Amino acid sequence: MELKPQPGMAGTGVLERIEGRFGYATDQHHLPGLLHGAILRSRHAHARLLRVDTSRARLMPGVRAVVTAADVPGLNRFGIVVRDQPVLCEDRVRYEGDAIAAVAADTVEQARAALEVIDVDYAPLAVVDQAETAEQMSPLHGESNLLAREAFERGDTDAAFARCEVIVEHHYQTPRQMHAFMETEGGVAIPDNNGGVIFRVGCQSGHRDAEQLADILGLKPSQVTVEATPTGGAFGGKDELTIQPAAGILALQTGSPVLIHLDRFESCRTGIKRHPVSMIMTTGCDRQGRILAHRVDALLDTGAYASLGPAVLENFLDHATAPLYRIEAYSVSGRLVYTNNGVSGAFRGFGGNQATFAVESQIDALAEKLAMCPMELRRINLRTVDEPGSRGQVVRWTAPPSNVLAEAGASPLWAPAGSDLRRRWLTGTGMAMGAQGNGLGDGLPDSGGGRVSLTAEGRIRLEFGFSDYGQNLAEAITCLVCETLGCVAGDIDVVLGNSRGPDSGPTSASRSSVLIHGVLADILPRWNDCVRDQAAALTGLPRDQLHSGPGGLFAGGRQVLSYRELAEKGQPEQTLIDASQAFPVAPEGNQPVGRYLQLQISTVARVAVDRLTGRVRVTDLHHITAAGRVIYPPGYLGQIEGAAIMGLGMALSEDMPTRQGHYLADNLDQYIIPTMQDVPDQRVDVLDNTPTTDRFPVRGVGELGIEAVAPAICSAIEAATGIRVRHLPVDAGYLLAELCAQEETCS
Amino acid sequence: MTRHTQPEPCAPEQVTFELNGDVISQWVSPATTLLDILRGSGRITSARAGCRIGRCGACTVLLNGQAVPGCLVMAWQVSGGTVETVEGLAEDPDFVQVRDALATESALQCGYCTPGIAVSLVSGLRQQQNGDVVDLEEAVTGNLCRCTGYGGLKRAIAVLTEASSET
Amino acid sequence: MSDSLSNLNPVTARRAIRVLRPDSPDQAVSLARQFSASYTAGGTWLQPTHERDQCWPETLVALNSSWPGFRGLDAGPNGLTVGALTSLAELARQALIRDYLPPLAMFLNRVAGPGVRTLGTVGGNLIVGGDLSALAMALDVRVDVINHTGERALPFSRWLRERASDDLLRGFTIPDCRGWRISLEKLGYRERFSPTRATLACVHDGDRVRLAVSGEGGLLRLVATETFVNDRADLASGDVGAVIDRELAAHGWQDAHLRMALRRMTTELLSEVALGT
Ligand SMILES: Cc1cc2nc3c(=O)[nH]c(=O)nc-3n(C[C@H](O)[C@H](O)[C@H](O)COP(=O)(O)OP(=O)(O)OC[C@H]3O[C@@H](n4cnc5c(N)ncnc54)[C@H](O)[C@@H]3O)c2cc1C
Ligand code: FES
Ligand code: FES
Repeated sequence: MELKPQPGMAGTGVLERIEGRFGYATDQHHLPGLLHGAILRSRHAHARLLRVDTSRARLMPGVRAVVTAADVPGLNRFGIVVRDQPVLCEDRVRYEGDAIAAVAADTVEQARAALEVIDVDYAPLAVVDQAETAEQMSPLHGESNLLAREAFERGDTDAAFARCEVIVEHHYQTPRQMHAFMETEGGVAIPDNNGGVIFRVGCQSGHRDAEQLADILGLKPSQVTVEATPTGGAFGGKDELTIQPAAGILALQTGSPVLIHLDRFESCRTGIKRHPVSMIMTTGCDRQGRILAHRVDALLDTGAYASLGPAVLENFLDHATAPLYRIEAYSVSGRLVYTNNGVSGAFRGFGGNQATFAVESQIDALAEKLAMCPMELRRINLRTVDEPGSRGQVVRWTAPPSNVLAEAGASPLWAPAGSDLRRRWLTGTGMAMGAQGNGLGDGLPDSGGGRVSLTAEGRIRLEFGFSDYGQNLAEAITCLVCETLGCVAGDIDVVLGNSRGPDSGPTSASRSSVLIHGVLADILPRWNDCVRDQAAALTGLPRDQLHSGPGGLFAGGRQVLSYRELAEKGQPEQTLIDASQAFPVAPEGNQPVGRYLQLQISTVARVAVDRLTGRVRVTDLHHITAAGRVIYPPGYLGQIEGAAIMGLGMALSEDMPTRQGHYLADNLDQYIIPTMQDVPDQRVDVLDNTPTTDRFPVRGVGELGIEAVAPAICSAIEAATGIRVRHLPVDAGYLLAELCAQEETCS
Repeated sequence: MTRHTQPEPCAPEQVTFELNGDVISQWVSPATTLLDILRGSGRITSARAGCRIGRCGACTVLLNGQAVPGCLVMAWQVSGGTVETVEGLAEDPDFVQVRDALATESALQCGYCTPGIAVSLVSGLRQQQNGDVVDLEEAVTGNLCRCTGYGGLKRAIAVLTEASSET
Repeated sequence: MSDSLSNLNPVTARRAIRVLRPDSPDQAVSLARQFSASYTAGGTWLQPTHERDQCWPETLVALNSSWPGFRGLDAGPNGLTVGALTSLAELARQALIRDYLPPLAMFLNRVAGPGVRTLGTVGGNLIVGGDLSALAMALDVRVDVINHTGERALPFSRWLRERASDDLLRGFTIPDCRGWRISLEKLGYRERFSPTRATLACVHDGDRVRLAVSGEGGLLRLVATETFVNDRADLASGDVGAVIDRELAAHGWQDAHLRMALRRMTTELLSEVALGT
């Protein structure tokens, strides 16, 4: 069924956003006594710090505080998985974004001027800028630049390869993509006058950030509060702490609120990126096309600090096992290495889409060698809903994979595109599939809570710890509550992302929707009972005749008590119901944990390749998603469309190459993301065969849309030109050279 | 106040312009950007620094009726001019039309890019009313949006285009 | 109502820049000399450049579009005169442009974005080797330049070779090119609002073809390629091949793949002007 946006369902905060009064983290300019902070970044990608002299900076006009490593009150380290990144470097810098000192001053200009006169002596160290040779270079941390190595094995891969009729082996490379959220990292730290600090910052996990910040600031957890603040995009790039530690230290030192807002130059230089992956994949099948063996050897450049690298590696490897396909034996392994090339970490897709790009390209390569239709080859090998997942785990699909494939096969985009008069544009259609699990993945504790209550004003308040950076979570919650309680949007208040509220865990890994649905299914009936009890006491009507509805409680078809009256006369305090839920994982401790709730997508792409220049235009994208129930259609559509265009950017133009550890792009004129005219028409069809008995009919679709776009585009390019591109982003020059070579051999 | 014949490097100047209907006057260095003046005023939050080099459109405002990136306009260029931002457009019929189309078609997620896009569309509609041929999809090519993939925006523009072809 | 803004808090180090606003072109020239200052027209090239390197000139001399001849279009017996301070957006809207340079209005959609086109000027674009400079070069426009020695008119290409730092561009004159066949093509990194990789202009005046390119390798009139093309009987026949490749490589166009694209774009534009499409 084609998903239509259902015009008119404008959600909460939409008008505020359009009218520019939504109060983003970096809009907090009117706090009394506000100071502006700025951070000194390393000049070198790798160096010893010999001396940091701030004496001149302290004398600059307007300067209120200058801090260095010595001023970090608590732990001078942060990091979600491994706390290995200094807040302010002590004796060594490991990438060009490393922070050395921070200044608070009356104006931004004064703060920046003060940075200019901080004297730093460096002794440059050899720069580790090639992931391939990183392990032979002197280590950035500990004993070795090998941060992690992981392998998944199944069956006897060598023996299985020996039985293969056809084997394909290729090298793939994916880019260091930047999140490029429109609001660069920023926010304020406000001293609370009791020795504690309140943060209003663009972030993805208030609770986790509050814990880390308490350690850094040497405060008790109860002294750090992270407040929900609208954020101009995150996509994984605000998962780690960004400006919070420096702002917090400066706020404590000065006793004043401190605002730090990185400009785009600094954001590009310091911010986390997607892991570039270099991998060799070998895949073999028998004469009928049954895939028997699959081997992957991958290298991920994690940059200077661990961040979420180990979790990304695990997710990458999971996707590298080709979860959609039944493969007798595989051996997939990956190494994650430290380099001085910035820092890589969480990014929508989380390593998975890098693997899917290569896996799907391999399937096409096998089909080509077998002279078989690539979709037929997929059909033969796709798992059924009854089979376990690629790692032996129990899986809950929301539709049979073969149905998702069949819908892709029926896409109107396979009809040949009309050609231009001068035959300048070569057109072609291709497709790819992808699977994606919900939840944080192996070894990471994953649970989340939420709360419902009746406010003193008679509004039904729902609180979750998730951050809202544009995913329409509030709208989804409102829709679910209205559906369950029969009330209307105007009755509901949604409060998100306060570290003093319920802990929902991080806003990542497409986990929010699943947890929201699960928690609401628990707390709403209980809340409803509680409210009906109170209403029964107040009205004298039997509880069974009462039910909640728009504006209040109803009996016999008419409203007998408004929520407001209930709040005034009843005991709203007692309606507060909290619940927490472990993220749904496979029963009986079946591993791996994050691969239980699975989603699928198939993306069909049509492209036009310019014969003259090799540039590629994607003219159409058609997605078929099987990702559970759609709660809020515009939100679902927006997530798929938005993620797909990020995938398009990754396929065609986005990369952050480095030279000697320095990024070669520093702003949005050099880092190229799609504009309005670069995006194709998109269509999303939703396939939902989730059994009515499934307790988890709602899944998170925040990452699904990016999964299959790049391989679908490359498959379409191959259909148009006969050339398969395996290194992203697609280099128009390479494509052109190949086209020219083809023409020469033809003529 | 005496005027320097040879201005000192840092001499601020008085810049007077109309902002959303109010005449305002500010002493600034003449190379200060309009974006900084607006945000520094404490009353404008709709114009945002996404890049400061004209490349993202988040700072788009109307200068003398036309959409421009506020980060590329220097104070001296604003003197005597008229500046409008979405804060001042709430009653403007073109803006109302744009706002409704963006809202009903869910053309936004985080919303950070949205005021700039709205301003570009208002500018496009005004140019159309002046008889210029303006393709609204072209009018927003200077506005980057990272969240939506522009799907909702395309639908909103289709609605606006249909409305304007009816009148 | 008058209101004073408080808390002004600019975030870039621009406070130290002074902007002089001369009353006349002559005064502009003398101030530019006196302070070794640069001119600023729309400022859309200047500002990003200095924001990036954070190394601003001490003094800017602001140009004023109300000075006579500096703005607008004027069709005369020598052709079409365009004021240097005409904005790119204004240029796209001019009816005269549709007469003289039919493909230009559409092409301008691919030059910067709408907001930048409203601010940026045609003169600034020519001077920085922007997307219009290849066309100006191929059209053999004559520029009208003022400096401390007086005013002179000379071919654009010659001016580029001998340009003095106080040279002020008032405007330029396009020969009467109505009836000529003109083709333009830009290759960027994306479809719109893209930095230029290469922009190619091809002009056929009914007799001879002229070609120029701007972009990554710099502004270049493709003299050798023109000669090769004009010497053969059929413009559209075959590939300009090795000639253009050699010419580009010799003049700073290092990227072999980009040269390959230019070679094919040139062939395409040549057949367009030959066919008159
Ligand atoms: C986001 C963005 C995108 C852009 N995209 C493109 C693009 O796609 N294609 C493109 O070609 N350009 C592009 N540009 C560059 C630039 O904006 C344009 O080339 C513009 O036309 C320059 O004109 P200006 O008036 O703004 O120049 P200014 O910045 O004012 O001046 C540029 C240079 O020319 C000198 N100068 C200007 N006018 C005169 C004069 N009359 N006499 C003597 N010297 C003068 C100045 O001293 C300065 O050195 C882009 C710029 C931005 C910010
Ligand atoms: S901040 Fe002005 S265009 Fe990006
Ligand atoms: S809605 Fe977030 S950038 Fe456009």
